Amino acid sequence: MRSRALTTLAALVGTSVLTLAGCAGEPAQAPPAADVAATPEFSGTLSVLTKFAGEPLSPYFEKLAAEYQRAHPEVKVELIQETDQSIKDKLKTLTASNALPDVFFTWTGNWAENYVRGGRAADLTKVIGPDTPWGRTFSQASLSAFAYDGKFYGIPLYNNGKFMGYNKDAFAKAGIEVPKTFEELIGSCATLRKAGYEPITFGNKDGWPALHYLQQLFAYNVPPDTLRADFAPATAKLDHPGYVASLKQFKTLVDQCTDTREGTNGVLYSSAQEAFSNGKAAMYYQEILEFDNATSGKVVKPDDFGIFPLPVPQGAAGDPKVIEGAPEGYLINAASPRAALAVDFMKFVTNPDNAKTLSAPPYGQPSTVVGAVTPETSSKAVYEGIDLVNKASGLAIWLDTVTVPEVADAWLSGGEALISGGKTPEQVLDSVRQASASAR
Amino acid sequence: MRAIIRLTWVVPALVLVGVFVYLPLVQNFGFSTLEWDIYSGSREYVGLDNYRKLLGDPVFWSSFGNNLLYAAISVAVQVFGALVLAALIESVRSERWRRGLRVVYFIPSAISLTVAGLLFYFLYEPNLGVLNHALEAAGLGHLAQAWLGQEDTAMLAVIAMSQWQGFGYSTLLFAVAIQRIPSEIYGAAAIDGTGPVRRFFSVTLPLVREMTGLMTMVTISGAFQVFNEVMVMTGGGPDNSTQVLGTWLYRSGFVRNDFGYAAAIATVLFVITLAVALAQLWVTSRRRVEW
Repeated sequence: MRSRALTTLAALVGTSVLTLAGCAGEPAQAPPAADVAATPEFSGTLSVLTKFAGEPLSPYFEKLAAEYQRAHPEVKVELIQETDQSIKDKLKTLTASNALPDVFFTWTGNWAENYVRGGRAADLTKVIGPDTPWGRTFSQASLSAFAYDGKFYGIPLYNNGKFMGYNKDAFAKAGIEVPKTFEELIGSCATLRKAGYEPITFGNKDGWPALHYLQQLFAYNVPPDTLRADFAPATAKLDHPGYVASLKQFKTLVDQCTDTREGTNGVLYSSAQEAFSNGKAAMYYQEILEFDNATSGKVVKPDDFGIFPLPVPQGAAGDPKVIEGAPEGYLINAASPRAALAVDFMKFVTNPDNAKTLSAPPYGQPSTVVGAVTPETSSKAVYEGIDLVNKASGLAIWLDTVTVPEVADAWLSGGEALISGGKTPEQVLDSVRQASASAR
Repeated sequence: MRAIIRLTWVVPALVLVGVFVYLPLVQNFGFSTLEWDIYSGSREYVGLDNYRKLLGDPVFWSSFGNNLLYAAISVAVQVFGALVLAALIESVRSERWRRGLRVVYFIPSAISLTVAGLLFYFLYEPNLGVLNHALEAAGLGHLAQAWLGQEDTAMLAVIAMSQWQGFGYSTLLFAVAIQRIPSEIYGAAAIDGTGPVRRFFSVTLPLVREMTGLMTMVTISGAFQVFNEVMVMTGGGPDNSTQVLGTWLYRSGFVRNDFGYAAAIATVLFVITLAVALAQLWVTSRRRVEW
């Protein structure tokens, strides 16, 4: 009796596996091509997944959705607002279950490329290409960041870049100037500590903040072509000495300039930001998107706040004028039956007035729309940051989105191990090489 | 015919259990034999490749080791430690004190694991955390460290939080089991001149063995299903040192986009917890205490 039951169970499992495996090798059923250039039908529910959950960002899309609904009473905009961390899981769950909303957030690099490669993102070339009226309203670099094989897929919403934010008062009290080289930055840490400040506050509980330092250092220390080849597992060698040099420089910064040193993995990114805002730390490496938030506290005010790119190490072999950062934007679901309406809504979101609102405090998200970021509309630091991004020779896309997830994850674990002292720079690079080989 | 009619009454329940419990299990095994690209939707049959990959994956093995460590410490603290504490509480003469102590020890279990994880995250925080400040105040500043930020302390720090949270619940269950022991047996032991320690080992321990067996199995099974506390406190880091099977499954699927491999880990996890559940059934059926 028992053996019969086992046989039945095995047959059941086997049948199921064969049924599932029957799909082997078959691509997903091609969705009907969304007609993004059609005249929109102003009715129905438009679902929009944003990365603007929480204060101060969440009211931005809420207000726009309400305004759009007032203009088009038959349309209901259903907002799903997530945070920077939670949207990653949300998007993958929705993708796996074929339930992507009509409009959804994306990073650049491999992240957006996956949606394009999988046929999930609508080709927007006809409506947002550089020669179209809507396309001409954006900076060309931000449009190109979402272009693949000559086609344009993304609607860039805001630009971003990573800078060292510093407390001018702290620098004045310590009697130091803005460092011009990475070595000068490290040298200034002891002076700032003597003046009573934590030189650089840093929280790496989530792993990715370390990648921001590393990616900027890689861009400085490794030639751009080598770097580009190393991001793709098929061509990656990861043998340039600039990688080990960057990892060593990063470890030096953690050990000499933070108070938490090898315990930095136990500190939240937001706790570090608070330490800077409260005037306890002199520097904090942050995105333009954070500038207005970092200066909204009681101690560090916008006038006390200055920025500079992470200084270039002496003798670096890469491009010293690259700034780490990338625009962030939105894709339109290729299978959306309301693709034209989605385009119309996003045109509304990125119109000049809304673009200026987005760039101004309290949102402080520098719009990619030409002319939206001005000294009048944005805070001084945001304007200065965007100016530096525009003048940069190129943008180094975030390390956790520019390469494939397996390799990005190896960099993430490696960054943590480097901070805690669990691995040497050489061991970290070796683990990344293995991940890259495995992903090939 | 009547048998068939009777059977129709259970069909809805069978269908529900089949669809929501057993079908997902079978489907999960099916997924574990696939290389699945969620973006294009393509699924390639790879047989048992994902299981072979498990064998060579050092993070899988370290995660498994962390689950074992979790189970070992939890059995020591939440089963045997809780039993001793329950016996101590039940030996207190005053009913009011007994009731009060049960409540005091149970309170942490009323807090959700996610909230407790967050509380302990801030308790362990290297700059602001109470633990490091307390150590410094006690003249033990040299012991202060980033408890969750270093590979050698992070896992133990997470497990410690979990013990704090689950200890009271086990104590309460043991207290109930001890209360069921007839007082005549303790009376007879007292007449025989046994002391409290002897009474514990000769009366309490044998007569709560059913509950001890059950709690041991439940605790081991729970230790292999750990997820929330690790995600909240460390996310599996630093350098994957606090990964357990549940979080490595999640990371493989949702971070590394390897959903077939994640399904293979889920299958292994299911087999482990199923084995523990079967052992639990076997133990409880053989160790029935009657008086």
